[in-house]
Amino acid sequence: MKISYAWLKEFIDLNISPEELASCLNQIGLMVESVEKNEGDTVYEIETYANRPDTLGHLGVAREIATLLDLLLKEKKWPLVELDEPTSDFIDLQIMDGQLCPRYCGLVVKGVKVGSSPEWLRKRIEAIGLRPINNVVDVSNYVCFSLGQPIHTFDLNKLNGAKIIVRKARKGETIRTLEGSLVELSPEMLVIADEARPVAIAGVIGGEESGITNETRDVFIESANFNPVSIRLTAKKLGLSTDASYRFERGADINAGPLAALMAASLLCGFGGRVSRGLLDVYPNQKKTKTILLRLKRIAQLLGVDIPADFVVKTLTGLGLRLKEQQKNVWAVEIPSFRVDLEREADLIEEVARFYGYDKIPSEVTPVKSFELPSDRKRERIWRLKEILFHHGFDEVINFSFADPEKEKIWQTGRNPIQLKNPISSRSSILRTSLLPGLMENAAWNFNREAEGVHIFEVGNTYFWEEEDVHKEKLNLGILTTGIRETQTWKEPKKETDFFVLKGAVESLFSYLAFDWRSFESANHAFFEAGQGLQILLKNEPVGYLGVLKTAIARSYQFELPVYCAEIDLSVLLDRQPKSFTFTAIAKFPRTSRDLSFLVDANIFYREIHRQLQKLNVPYLEGFEVYDRFQGKSIPPDKVSFSVRFFFRHQARTLQTEEVDRSMLDILSQLKSSLKIQLR
Amino acid sequence: MSTLQERTREYRELFHNLAAKVKEAKEVEELHQLFLGRKKGYLTLLFEELKNLLPEERKSAGKALNEFKEEIQKLLTELEEKCQTQKPVRLVEDLTLPGKKLYWGSPHPITLFQREIERIFISMGFSVEEGPEIETDYYNFEALNFPPHHPARDSWDTLYINDKLLLRTHTSPVQVRVMEKKKPPIRIIIPGKVFRRETPDPTHLPMFYQVEGLVVDKGITFAHLKGTLEYFLKALFGEKIKLRFRPSFFPFTEPSAEVDIECIVCSGQDSNCRVCGGSGWKEILGAGMVDPQVFKNVNINPEKYSGWAFGLGIDRTAMLAFQIPEIRYFYENDLRFLRQFNRR
Repeated sequence: MKISYAWLKEFIDLNISPEELASCLNQIGLMVESVEKNEGDTVYEIETYANRPDTLGHLGVAREIATLLDLLLKEKKWPLVELDEPTSDFIDLQIMDGQLCPRYCGLVVKGVKVGSSPEWLRKRIEAIGLRPINNVVDVSNYVCFSLGQPIHTFDLNKLNGAKIIVRKARKGETIRTLEGSLVELSPEMLVIADEARPVAIAGVIGGEESGITNETRDVFIESANFNPVSIRLTAKKLGLSTDASYRFERGADINAGPLAALMAASLLCGFGGRVSRGLLDVYPNQKKTKTILLRLKRIAQLLGVDIPADFVVKTLTGLGLRLKEQQKNVWAVEIPSFRVDLEREADLIEEVARFYGYDKIPSEVTPVKSFELPSDRKRERIWRLKEILFHHGFDEVINFSFADPEKEKIWQTGRNPIQLKNPISSRSSILRTSLLPGLMENAAWNFNREAEGVHIFEVGNTYFWEEEDVHKEKLNLGILTTGIRETQTWKEPKKETDFFVLKGAVESLFSYLAFDWRSFESANHAFFEAGQGLQILLKNEPVGYLGVLKTAIARSYQFELPVYCAEIDLSVLLDRQPKSFTFTAIAKFPRTSRDLSFLVDANIFYREIHRQLQKLNVPYLEGFEVYDRFQGKSIPPDKVSFSVRFFFRHQARTLQTEEVDRSMLDILSQLKSSLKIQLR
Repeated sequence: MSTLQERTREYRELFHNLAAKVKEAKEVEELHQLFLGRKKGYLTLLFEELKNLLPEERKSAGKALNEFKEEIQKLLTELEEKCQTQKPVRLVEDLTLPGKKLYWGSPHPITLFQREIERIFISMGFSVEEGPEIETDYYNFEALNFPPHHPARDSWDTLYINDKLLLRTHTSPVQVRVMEKKKPPIRIIIPGKVFRRETPDPTHLPMFYQVEGLVVDKGITFAHLKGTLEYFLKALFGEKIKLRFRPSFFPFTEPSAEVDIECIVCSGQDSNCRVCGGSGWKEILGAGMVDPQVFKNVNINPEKYSGWAFGLGIDRTAMLAFQIPEIRYFYENDLRFLRQFNRR
C-alpha cells in the first residue's frame, strides 16, 4: 500500500519530517518497504496486514500516526449542491441477497462535466501509482484510497430501467469488464445488475457498458459493503485482484459507506454536478458494537512491563476506541466498526504495546523452573549415524519430498504413492516412496558437472498409503556410491568405489546401533540386478537392502557406471532399544594367530564358510578373519581359494605352541567334513 | 673342579669373544640374557656359588665377580649404543609434496545450521520435539486460530493430499500436539521440513526448513520473549549484531512481532546492498505471545498460563549467515556446494 506524506496532511497537521514519519510507521508495525520522493511529496510503500483493512486508506494511517504523535484528526466538511428530487426518484434498489451485501449506499449526481482532473487530484492519483483517467474515475479512486472504502460509479443513463439489483449471477451470464475482457460468471458470484444484465461484479470490477465515458452526464455512486469471503472466492476464481476486491475481502468498514458516497458526491459537485436529495442507505441488520474488557494488570502480566493507565486510555482513545472504566484500571472497551481485527483483550494489549514501543519493553531471561530429561536419544543417534557416514566419506544431501510419478515407475518401489491434489507441476505430483531415485538424480546431476565420483546419503521421510486411507511416513536412510572414490595422487593410484565400500559403511552403522542379531540374506529386489542384492534382517524382520543398481534404471538417468546403493528403514531401528553398552576387560595374555589357505567349490559363498567358521568348536579360538579370496589359473577352475587367519588366546596364561597346533588340526578336520575343503 | 676364579676367567674370555661378533641390538639383548639373565645367566650362577666358599675366600672372589659384572654392563651399554647408531634412518626425500588427504564427508548446510540452532536452545534448557509432515487441516490451521477462509488455507498456498490431509505449512502443528499431550511448563523447539505451494524463485521453494520455539508457563511475558530471542540471535550471529523488534500479525500469536537483524553484509552502509536492499535491516523471524484462542483449543487456561512462540526459516537464515544468494542451492545437492560446508 502506497501512502503519500502530502495526502496524510489532509487528515493531520504533521509536525515531523518525512524521514521521521518513516521511523514512526515502522515503530507501530506499518513497515516501510521503500520510500520515493517526487514533486515535493514523499511516498511510502508500507506493509499492511490481512486483518487491518483500516490501514488501506490514508485516513486509517493518519489515525495511527495521530495516536502516536498526540495529534488530532481533522474533521472535513463535504458540502453538496443538491437537487430537489430524492435519490429514489432516479434509481430503484433491490437487494436480493442481504447475506452477501449487508449494506448498500448510493447517491445520484446529475450534470457532471466529465473531463480530466484538476492538478491536485491528478497528483494524488499519481502519488499512489495509478494513472489519472477522468475526474469521475479519479474521484472514486481518491475516495477509496482516502477512506479505504471502495466505491463504484455508473453512468446512470445506461442502467436499464433505472434499476440496481444486487443478486447472484445466473448461469451462463457474462460481462465485459472495465478492463475490456469478457468474463463468464458463475451462480455463486454476486453481481450488480440492472433490469437486463449484470453491470458490475459486486466489489470486484465494473462493467464496461455501464462505465463512465466522456459522454456521461449523470452518475450513480455505489458505496456498498460486501461479504469478504464471497468477494475473495469470486476474485480468486476470476483471477482478478482489484483495489476494491483487495479491501472488501479483508473486511471493509460497514459504516464507511455513507461518508464515502458523500465525499464522492461533494467532489463531483466541483465538476458541475448536483446531488440527489437524501442518501440511499439500505442496512437492514445493523451490526452490534463489540465490547471487550481490558485489565491494566493483564497488560503487565503479558508484556512484562508496567504501562501507566493514562497511556492506555490515551492510546486506545486515539485509535477511536471508547473506554468506560468499570472499576479501577478495568475498562469496557467499545470497538469501532473499522477495527475488524480487535476481538479479545490480547488484541487490545497488542495495541497498547505497539504504541508504547516494542523497543521499550525490557529483555529478560525466560525463567526455568525444572529441567526435563530427553524422552529418547533418537536425534543424537541419527546424528551419530551421519557422523559414521561422513567418516566413510559420504556427503549428506537433502532432496525434495516430491517425486516424478514417471520416474518412480521405473524404480517399482512397490509402494502405493501419495498423490498431491494441487501439485506445482506434474513432475512433482507425488510424494517420494523411496530415497534412492533422488540420490540417483543427484549422482547424474553431479556427473554432468565435473564430478568423477558421488558418495552420498540422505536421511528423510518416505511417504505412502499403507492401506486405503491410512498414510505412512517412514524415516529412511538412503546411501549411494558410484565412480571414483579416491583420485590419483603422487603417492597412490586412483581408486574406484565398489559394493564393499557400501557394505562396510552399512556394517559400521549396524555395529554402532548395537543390535544383537542382524544378517544379510540374498534377496531379489526390483532395484537390483538379479542376484546382486542383499536384504538386511533384524531377527527375521527386513529393515533394509543393498545391492548393485539395475543397469536399466541407471541408464534412464543416462548413467553408465555401476551404482551401489542401500536403503534402510530407520523408523524401525530407532524405535528399538540397543543393547546397553558395558566395557569388556582387556585380555592380559598375548594372542597367537595362524593362517589357513584352502580350496572350496566355486559355488560356495563366503557366507557359508563364515557360518561354518562360527560353528567351530575349538579350544582357545578367539576369532577369525578372511584375508584373501582368489580364483584363477593356479587353482582348478571349479574351485575358489580362501585364506583365513585364526586367533587363539588363553585367558589365564600364555598358550603353548603345541596347544595352538592341536586347535588348528581340529579346525582343519571340522572344515574338511563341513565344507569339503582342500588345503592349498 | 676348577676354582671360581678360574671359571670367572673362562667366562670373561667367552664374553669378549661373543661381544666381538655382536652386530644388532637383538644380539646385545641375547648376550645380556646369557650372562646376566635372572635365573640362568652365567654370572648369576657364579654369584650363587659364592655362598659355598669360606668367608675369607668369599671376599676376594665376590670382588672379582663384581668387577666382571661391571665390565659386562659397561660393554653391553657401549654395544647397545653402537648398534642403535648403526640403524639406518629412513629419510623423506621431499617434504614439500602435498599430504595424504582423507576425505571426510560433508554434512548438509541445513543440518549444520539446524544443529547450531538446536545447540543454543538446548543450552537454555529447551528440548527438541518433532512431528509428522503430513498433517490434518485441524492441526495445521484450525487449532492455530486460522479463520476458515484465511488466504493461507486455500489451494494456492497449501499443498493438499485430500480434503482431510495436507503437507504442513509450518512446524506449528507440533506446538498444538505437544500442548495437547503435556501440561505446562513447556519449553521446546521444533525443527523440521515444511511445504508451501510456492513457485520456485531465488528466495522461495515449495519445501524448506523451519524451527519454532514455544514456552508455556505461569507468568511468561513478552519481555522473556525478547530476552531469549536476543540471546539466541547473538549466539548465532555474534555479540555485536543489532536487533529490532517491530509489531506484526500472525493468527496464532497476540501481540505479534517481527524481528530484524542489522544487515550482516553492509551494516546499513550500502544503499544498493544486494542483501538488505539498502534498508540496513533484514527480517529474520516472526514471534509473539501465544494467542489465547490457541490455548483454549488445547485446554490450557489462558488466564492461568501464558507463553511465547517464534518461528524462523532455517534456509533463509543460513543464506544470510553464509551469504548464499539462492535458496535452490540447498536442494540441488551439487557437491561443489555441499563440500564447502566441510569447513564449517
